Amino acid sequence: MKRLARHAGQLAAWALFLVIIAAFAMGPAFSPVPEGSGELKISMAHLAERIEPCRPLTEEERAELPPTRRVTEVCERGRVPTLVRLRLDGELIIDRLVKAAGWQEDGRAYLLEFQPLPAGQYELELALRDTPREEGYDMQHHFNLALEPGDSALLEIGDGDVVLRLPERR
Amino acid sequence: MSGAQERALPGPARRLLARLEMPLSRAFDGVHNPMHHLGALTIFFFYVALVTGIYLFIFYRTSLEGAWASVEYLTREQWYAGGIMRSLHRYASDAAVITLGLHIVREMIRGRHKGPRWFSWLTGVPLIWIVLWFGISGYWMVWDELAQYVAVSSARLMDWLPIFTDPMSRNFISNEAVSSRLFTLIAFIHLVGLPIIAVLAIWFHLLRVRRPRINPTRKLMLGSLVALLVLSVLMPVYSHAPADLDRVPLSLDIDWFYLAIFPLMSVTSEGMVWLIAGGGTLVLAALPWLPPGRKTPAAEVHLPDCTGCGFCAEDCPYGAIDMVERSDDRNFKLEAKVNPDLCVSCGICTGSCPSSSPFRQRRPLTTGIEMPHFTMEDFRQQIDIAAEKARGAVLVFGCDHGPRIDRVAGPKTHTVSLPCVGMIPPAGIDYAMRSTGYSGVAIAGCEGCDCHHRLGDDFTRQRIERERQPSLRKRVPRERLLTVWMKAGDETRLDRQLTEFGKHLADLPGDEQTSDSRQSGRREEVQ
Repeated sequence: MKRLARHAGQLAAWALFLVIIAAFAMGPAFSPVPEGSGELKISMAHLAERIEPCRPLTEEERAELPPTRRVTEVCERGRVPTLVRLRLDGELIIDRLVKAAGWQEDGRAYLLEFQPLPAGQYELELALRDTPREEGYDMQHHFNLALEPGDSALLEIGDGDVVLRLPERR
Repeated sequence: MSGAQERALPGPARRLLARLEMPLSRAFDGVHNPMHHLGALTIFFFYVALVTGIYLFIFYRTSLEGAWASVEYLTREQWYAGGIMRSLHRYASDAAVITLGLHIVREMIRGRHKGPRWFSWLTGVPLIWIVLWFGISGYWMVWDELAQYVAVSSARLMDWLPIFTDPMSRNFISNEAVSSRLFTLIAFIHLVGLPIIAVLAIWFHLLRVRRPRINPTRKLMLGSLVALLVLSVLMPVYSHAPADLDRVPLSLDIDWFYLAIFPLMSVTSEGMVWLIAGGGTLVLAALPWLPPGRKTPAAEVHLPDCTGCGFCAEDCPYGAIDMVERSDDRNFKLEAKVNPDLCVSCGICTGSCPSSSPFRQRRPLTTGIEMPHFTMEDFRQQIDIAAEKARGAVLVFGCDHGPRIDRVAGPKTHTVSLPCVGMIPPAGIDYAMRSTGYSGVAIAGCEGCDCHHRLGDDFTRQRIERERQPSLRKRVPRERLLTVWMKAGDETRLDRQLTEFGKHLADLPGDEQTSDSRQSGRREEVQ
């Protein structure tokens, strides 16, 4: 009887162990976005203009350089921070001044945002300023976004182009 | 006693833990209690995951198109082998998280992270991260919707750190952005890099532990393997739909053991996850010194009594004793030298020293190696203190970390609590019966495979059974010796066993007890 009780105890212990594993190994389910929603990804890898424009070297300057390094123009490395403004149905959802990457701030300006959105129709207005100017924008785009539940739309801002990618409808 | 106050006695949390573990000890027998093998079980689950993982990798295709399809083939087409292997792989990994978590909490409650044990604790902390990386990288490999969520979320976590110029998450912004090379990289990390790091980390973790128990008992290995197999058959693991970065998964059956940080990130932020993970790691790592405690006294060597036999160095569970060249002019080659930074003050070395004999006439009694807070003189005094009442009485040796023997002490039961029962020199048992005249000796130590100082119970048993030097002399009547191994808080059972032992002693020829007292229980019986 005692032996039986011990075996029952062992069985119960293993069963409890399995129940704990089973309860949390594949659930409870989790929804990364609210029900009936999708998401908009805003990805930017954009090369802004240089802070100082390149300038041609004078003949004297070229003469001072070693013969193998006599380039025709010289460029400062730093690039202008890119101002990104995105409006969704008129509401400003992104307003960021993105520095160029790198120690010398001479690389592309990178931005990546994930914006969960309820399914529906939206108007997107994107404005970019990537030159040393103080006012106005250098690039402006307007898109219509039709988002269905589970869609992950991508607004991709490249060096010279901006594309809104929507999932292929199955 | 020189300093009983210097001995760390179990607090309420430790006693509660012992009580909670008691049902498992009843069911499994102390030696096989899974709670006594949590570290070893974690390593065993790692082995299971390793073996099943190797099988899965044979069929796994490291490409964008092949990853999900090959796992799906294993799960559906080859359900009888690959499917079960996959489930076993997952469940063994989950089981490892449970045993690892319990191992950490248990060691902390028992205070085994402090003092000289800090090294094992500190080197154990990175293992938590390694186990998590194992799990997370494994989920990437399936490349289903869950893998997509894990990949994007972990990339976002990494992007929060200012280490990448081009955000890592940009690799997952569209299906076109993902390349097959990713799967080669992840497979390398999961199958080669992390296992090597894990083995090295386990080695470091056990570096300061002599005779580490790497494997659980066979019974436990078999039991846990069968249990996981049953779960694998009853609830096979499946994949979600293939990853599609143009879609966002709406519902995921998440593995909370490994992936709970990602929902936490979704409801809070990347920064919060890093704060919790980083802060938690720092707090865990600092625990051995929080709050700063007084160092327990280390064993001391008395060269006049040390013959350089090396038994103490052999038996020290933490490798705190080295045998070095003799520094005095006695005609022995070696002498024991204690490293105080490694000594946990268990006194097992005193028990292993052949000079530890209370029969010796020297006063005060000294031995080759002993604890300054519980010397051999203290030991002999504790036995002799009740000498006039010894005849017909039972001397109970207990362990500070085992059942509280003072709670079972009756008028004819004399108790001596020690830092560890491994401290009892076999000659001490002989002395108690022959010289002091106790009717019997009982030793109540920590339960099997659960000695607070790791090996005290094993060594005591082996010395009594003459399997280990110094061994108990043959002349000691074994029928007058009782050994019981149980948890703190199990005093009722100990009391029962001592009562039975009292009856048994009364039945032995030559004992003074009357048959009347035999009927009425231990205390009345021995009075």
